[in-house]
Amino acid sequence: MTEWNTDVIQGTLDLLILKTLSLESLHGFGIGRRVEQVSRGVFKVNPGSLLTALQRLERAGWLDSEWRNTENSRRAKFYFLTRTGKKQLEIEEADWNRRASAVARLLRQEA
Amino acid sequence: MSFWRQVTHGLRGLLRRHERDREIDDEVQNYFEEMTAAYRERGFSDNDARRAVRQECGNLHAAKEQVRTYGWENTIRTWGADLRCAGRQLRRNPVFAAAAILMLGIGIGANTAIFTFVNSVLLRPLPYPSSNRLAIILSELGNSSRAPASMFELYQMRQRSRVFDQIAGIWVTNRELPDKGDPEQGKAGVVTSNFLQLFTTRPMLGRFFSREDDLENAPSTIVLSYPLWVRKFGADPRIIGTSVRLGRGSSVVIGVLPRDFRLIFPEDASVPPEVDYFQSIPIGPWEPNGPGFLHLVGRLRNAESLAAAQAELASIAAQINSIGERTKIANYHLYAFSLQDDDVREVRRTLYLLFGGVAFVLLIGCANVANLLMVRARQRLHETTIRAALGASTFRLIQQILAETLVTALFGGAVALLIGWAALQAIVAVEPASFANLGQVSLDLRVLAFTFAIAFLISVIVALAPISAVRRLKLAEDLKRSGRSTTPKQSKALIVLVASEVALAFVLLIGTGLLLRTFAHILRVDPGFRAENVFTLRVSVPNYEALREVQRALTALPGVQSVSTVSHLPLDDGGNWYDYYWKDGAPVDQQNTVMADMRSVLPGYFDTIGAQLIQGRDFTDSDDAAHQHVAVIDEILARRLWPGESALGKRVNVSDSPKGPFQFERDWLVVVGVVRHVQCHTLTATVRPQIYLPYALAPRPSMSMVIRTAGAVPDLVSSARKQIAALNRNLPITHLEPLSAVIDRARATSRFVSVLATLLAIVALQLALGGIYGVLSYCVVLRTAEIGIRMAVGAQRAEVMRLVFAQGFLPVALGIVTGAILSAVSMPLLDRLLFEVKPDNPRIYLLAIVAIFVLSGIAMLLPVLRAVRIDPMTALACE
Repeated sequence: MTEWNTDVIQGTLDLLILKTLSLESLHGFGIGRRVEQVSRGVFKVNPGSLLTALQRLERAGWLDSEWRNTENSRRAKFYFLTRTGKKQLEIEEADWNRRASAVARLLRQEA
Repeated sequence: MSFWRQVTHGLRGLLRRHERDREIDDEVQNYFEEMTAAYRERGFSDNDARRAVRQECGNLHAAKEQVRTYGWENTIRTWGADLRCAGRQLRRNPVFAAAAILMLGIGIGANTAIFTFVNSVLLRPLPYPSSNRLAIILSELGNSSRAPASMFELYQMRQRSRVFDQIAGIWVTNRELPDKGDPEQGKAGVVTSNFLQLFTTRPMLGRFFSREDDLENAPSTIVLSYPLWVRKFGADPRIIGTSVRLGRGSSVVIGVLPRDFRLIFPEDASVPPEVDYFQSIPIGPWEPNGPGFLHLVGRLRNAESLAAAQAELASIAAQINSIGERTKIANYHLYAFSLQDDDVREVRRTLYLLFGGVAFVLLIGCANVANLLMVRARQRLHETTIRAALGASTFRLIQQILAETLVTALFGGAVALLIGWAALQAIVAVEPASFANLGQVSLDLRVLAFTFAIAFLISVIVALAPISAVRRLKLAEDLKRSGRSTTPKQSKALIVLVASEVALAFVLLIGTGLLLRTFAHILRVDPGFRAENVFTLRVSVPNYEALREVQRALTALPGVQSVSTVSHLPLDDGGNWYDYYWKDGAPVDQQNTVMADMRSVLPGYFDTIGAQLIQGRDFTDSDDAAHQHVAVIDEILARRLWPGESALGKRVNVSDSPKGPFQFERDWLVVVGVVRHVQCHTLTATVRPQIYLPYALAPRPSMSMVIRTAGAVPDLVSSARKQIAALNRNLPITHLEPLSAVIDRARATSRFVSVLATLLAIVALQLALGGIYGVLSYCVVLRTAEIGIRMAVGAQRAEVMRLVFAQGFLPVALGIVTGAILSAVSMPLLDRLLFEVKPDNPRIYLLAIVAIFVLSGIAMLLPVLRAVRIDPMTALACE
């Protein structure tokens, strides 16, 4: 299991959350599990950081939330993307790709 | 949009805190439950699932706390909590709270009051258009400095100056007021026609003087002050352009000055702030050796500096000196001073010293509060350590201490505003006239800001000490000691604080001692006359006969011993009359160089005011123009002109009877008497020698009657009024007051400074003693166990007393030594405020040392008694 520097998580956590929620609305643990599954365990999400990030994104106007029943019929707070959230996702995705390819180019050069 | 969400969500978090907290709790709880359920689905047992979750995500409550701390409203919430906690802490220790708040309040309050005062006198620019370009021009000739200029000099300067765009002059004299009703005396400003423009932009009504008013056959014109316009002419705007009676003639009112018009001149210029009306005097060449009577004000051209003006005046002085008889005058100089600086010249030093004293009090107050906070921080070190051990970040610890000091400082600031307001009222109430040159003084917004800036600054400064204690926390070490009393190593910081308080208080005590001693000397100083049972009033009389009639009428009153009259009362702030003199046979270059105060009197004046005739005789009724012209001079002049000889029968050249409005004819007079010098301007300084002339030779339009009575005469004022009115209804009478009133006024500055200094010293001393008491009490508490052990193994009470006293007196002794050194360095600054006491007066030092030792000993009594009463068993059981 890789220990991730919080800075790295901090930088990418917003993008991961937005991307995850662009597919379907989920509650906190749902988001955490999805991120973990899709990244095949590379990203471990700490509930404190994740829920704080969700509050932040909600206040930024990118997410909305409502309390609903889960499949196990427990009440949970579900988050979904707003219109500005979708726009933000596009921006962050493009931004990430630009950075990632730049880093990749650099690494290739090195090799 | 997102900003809006920030606000609404934040407000919800603040206003519906519990709802939001519950929602977060639910969400976190749900997260953990979902996770546990997920583990169970993978086949974990209930227990294993929970353990796995805890391992992966840590503590549930920590997570909740983390999520809760998000958001701006949370900062407010923690500050709110800290402030509430601080409030609780202060309430729980009311003595500490009251002490800290009062100390800050007194220090800041006194500072605010003095700052407001200094601000209004020193820092605020003069209320004149381009006031920074106004300069006073003074001449120095022979051995008189700061002398007024003659019309000749003004004319020459105006002809030659390039640096000044205007040079104007004023002379204030007592004259009859322009009037419709009963005649009355007032102050007339005789000004050059360009004068008023320098001090205000435009008249409230009408116009200023112009060159046309200076033309030879132009009608006489006057400009009224606002108060005179209201009082005499019922604020009637139609007065402009009309002719009013003025003395024996008439004059046309051409303008009224604005309400706030005030003349702000140096104290020695004899130009009072309020002048009733103005007349213009044409600027002309006049004769070179005419009398100096004009106080000059020049306005610098835009790009010119005071230094340039100074250089130019030096060359103009040389040129003036080469015209006519001026050639022969040695040491003739012209100087320019900024009006602003020159006006506060004498007052400035006093104010800065008061400011210094107040700063000392503030420093002592701060030291005390820092002391209290440090003691408290130490008492709470254990609590702080536990908080740190439980995971409070240094930032949160600092925030909490900051909150506490902030609350203290804010309360202190509020108290300071009250104290400052009260102190300012008190200062303004006892303020001597010499300071009252800028009108109203009221606490303004800038001062308010200044106060709170100080309050915050102090809160930060005093917060630093406890915070540094927190930073140096060694958690484990402190916990090991686990609440047992610390070793009785007295902190160096506490010694330094107490010692500096004592040192500052010592300096203030020395300064106050010197000022009080000065005031005592001023109370005892012999002004050269005896003011008891002398009553004075000012009256305008047309001629010698009328004056003699008034004298005779007043002498006839019951209880009156003698009555005489003088043109200028001693120590009175009204106009002054001074002129050149020289002795018979003086070479031409010594003529027109030195000046004496001239006084016109009737026979009996010296007896009536109790001045002492040393040699020769008083004037008699036959000393008039028809007989030999005579004068009485004072001892100083006699010594100066004829050292080692008798002055009687010698001749002195002075101006005597008036010729025209401003000039006096020069004549030789024979000295027939020598009197003791009468203090004329201040009680402490001899400004100029005095020459008395018989009224018959030197009639003046306004005279002060002096009436000596056998004792208290109850209705003297009304009967004197009746008596004079019976002679002539039209004789204006003003300034009815006992002669002692002028002495009281002359003492006012010294009294004012002494009272303020005494108050400051008392406050400083009390604060310092409070500091000594507080620190020693704390040390005794710290050493309880040690003292208990000492007593248990046989120490006597006397030894314990010695022990505690020694600990208390160490910083006091250090403080006295430091204070003595500081005083030795700083007291010479007071020199000019002192009178007949040297700044290093050993008696005052001795007194201060004894006082501080005795008083601090008294402050130590309670802690010492507490130490002595320690019961060894209880003390050891506490451990």
